[in-house]
Amino acid sequence: MAMLEISHVSKFFGGLAANSDVSFSMEQGMIMGLIGPNGAGKTTLFNCITGYYPPSKGEVVFKGTRLNGMQPDRVCRLGMVRTWQKVRPLAKMSVVDNVMVGALARTSSLRVAREVAQEQLRIVRMDHRQDFLAGGLPIGERKKLEIARALATKPELVLLDEVMGGLNTGEKEEIILLILDLKKRGFTQVVIEHDMKAIMRISDRVVVLNSGEKLTEGTPREVADNPEVIAAYLGERVEG
Amino acid sequence: MPTLSRSPRPRGFSVVAIALFLATALALAVFPSFVAKPYVMHMGVMLFLAIIQGQAWNVVGGYAGQYSVGHAAYFGVGAYVTMMLLEVSKIPPWWGIWGAILAAVALSAIIGSITFRLRGPYFVLASISVAEIIRLATLHFRDFTRGAEGYLLSEIPTLHLFGAEIVFVGKRPFYYAGLALAVATIAANWAVQHSKLGYYFQAIREDQDAAHSLGIHLSLYKNVALAISAAFTAFAGGFYAMFVKFIDPNIAFGLDVSVQIVLIAIIGGIGTIIGPVIGAMVLVPLSEVLRNPRGLVQVGVLSPDSGVVTFIERYLSNAHLLVYGILVVVVILFAPEGVLGVIRRVVAWGRRRVAARGASPAPA
Repeated sequence: MAMLEISHVSKFFGGLAANSDVSFSMEQGMIMGLIGPNGAGKTTLFNCITGYYPPSKGEVVFKGTRLNGMQPDRVCRLGMVRTWQKVRPLAKMSVVDNVMVGALARTSSLRVAREVAQEQLRIVRMDHRQDFLAGGLPIGERKKLEIARALATKPELVLLDEVMGGLNTGEKEEIILLILDLKKRGFTQVVIEHDMKAIMRISDRVVVLNSGEKLTEGTPREVADNPEVIAAYLGERVEG
Repeated sequence: MPTLSRSPRPRGFSVVAIALFLATALALAVFPSFVAKPYVMHMGVMLFLAIIQGQAWNVVGGYAGQYSVGHAAYFGVGAYVTMMLLEVSKIPPWWGIWGAILAAVALSAIIGSITFRLRGPYFVLASISVAEIIRLATLHFRDFTRGAEGYLLSEIPTLHLFGAEIVFVGKRPFYYAGLALAVATIAANWAVQHSKLGYYFQAIREDQDAAHSLGIHLSLYKNVALAISAAFTAFAGGFYAMFVKFIDPNIAFGLDVSVQIVLIAIIGGIGTIIGPVIGAMVLVPLSEVLRNPRGLVQVGVLSPDSGVVTFIERYLSNAHLLVYGILVVVVILFAPEGVLGVIRRVVAWGRRRVAARGASPAPA
């Protein structure tokens, strides 16, 4: 059974099709890269999968459960969690409290939640920040906090929305290693990313969206050599 | 550019804070033995009431971030149900108040399930209008509520507690009951804040969408916050009705009741345990002085022929809402985190001064 099965998902906002007829399937433990130019509908697809919008058409099936219209909190409890492209720290709470909120999805004990949170903060190497207010963190640490908080909910499938956006080379490298480490530990991941080098390194397969439609799917190499993909990113070659 | 700063709230158990809290409660408990003036006792009861109201609002407004400006609904239901059970059904208030709390919680579930669909200012407006609807309904359905006539308390029966007889005459029994309730409310709020509920409420306040993605059922937890808040507010309402012995729709359900409840928390500092206590200590004396400046003469702060009393009586006697309004503007402009925020800033500034002095070498 596939971990995640997206079949013929469309999302319309009035007459605008933000996603139309997108399908792909993921096995447990794989990393799916999701790429496409700005406005291709990547984040909308994340919203459809995690319950923020019900898809207008099509089906989202996670571990055999049909998710259409299921609220994000239940999706989270089922074991699927997402991070936000525009980070959403709980600004007036401390870093460890932020991660504890995630951990409390699986326990009611603050003591257990704190232990889980501290472990996750060690994994993203932010344990020295735990008593600081989340609102004051620099962008690199905010992105890592997003990941730690999502992982604290004990997910099986993690959707990462541009977790490397706005980071410097060293910070990006740290996130890449973290994603590869998560893969080793058995997590299934969907990664939206603009950095092609990073996508090529981490993805098992890549789905390319363009104007809301799935342009192609394949291994990173296949996708990078596909003339349609090059055209979508760079425009058609002008003959003449 | 964000700046790194440590979280102001110390984690876990603060022995000093608890010791201070218990010492204050004890001091207030023995206080009437030394100063038994009825006016001082009256002020004490009003202070405890305001603390209960402020703490109650803080659960849904301060922690969960849902700014209800309609808490008069729960206060009024608490007052009316307690009073009507006593006057109509002859049920003593220490039983009746539980009925009032149940009624308020049920009402909160109805109001919450409708208004929590709204966010931000729309929620605030909806909360105001719901309280107004209830006030107008109370005025209108005279057969049931006696309308504008209101209820006058005849007599509170004698309470037999652990073999002792407590007669509710004068201010003193109310002073002790109020103190006990205020302490209980603060303790309950502390417990809520240091639980999963407290974390979830704050997460909802900080970012609803993020909270939702982390497994938090938004409408469930908002309704739980409102129910807890409504329960304590109804408690305050029932207690208030027994204390002042007269209620009508305006006293119980008026908009200024809602506004005053919010102010207690905002002036003190929302989202903290100590905030509503500070807010009550600012607002209660202020509103009492504005309403009855002669009280200051009774306590001996001012001489009877002081110009201040005449000035307040002549120019400010009905202006408490105006003064509240100015206070809100001042607090929002200059102290958005309330009196507590100002205190914290002053302390931090003092520490930096001391640190700077210690670090810099003495001038040669």
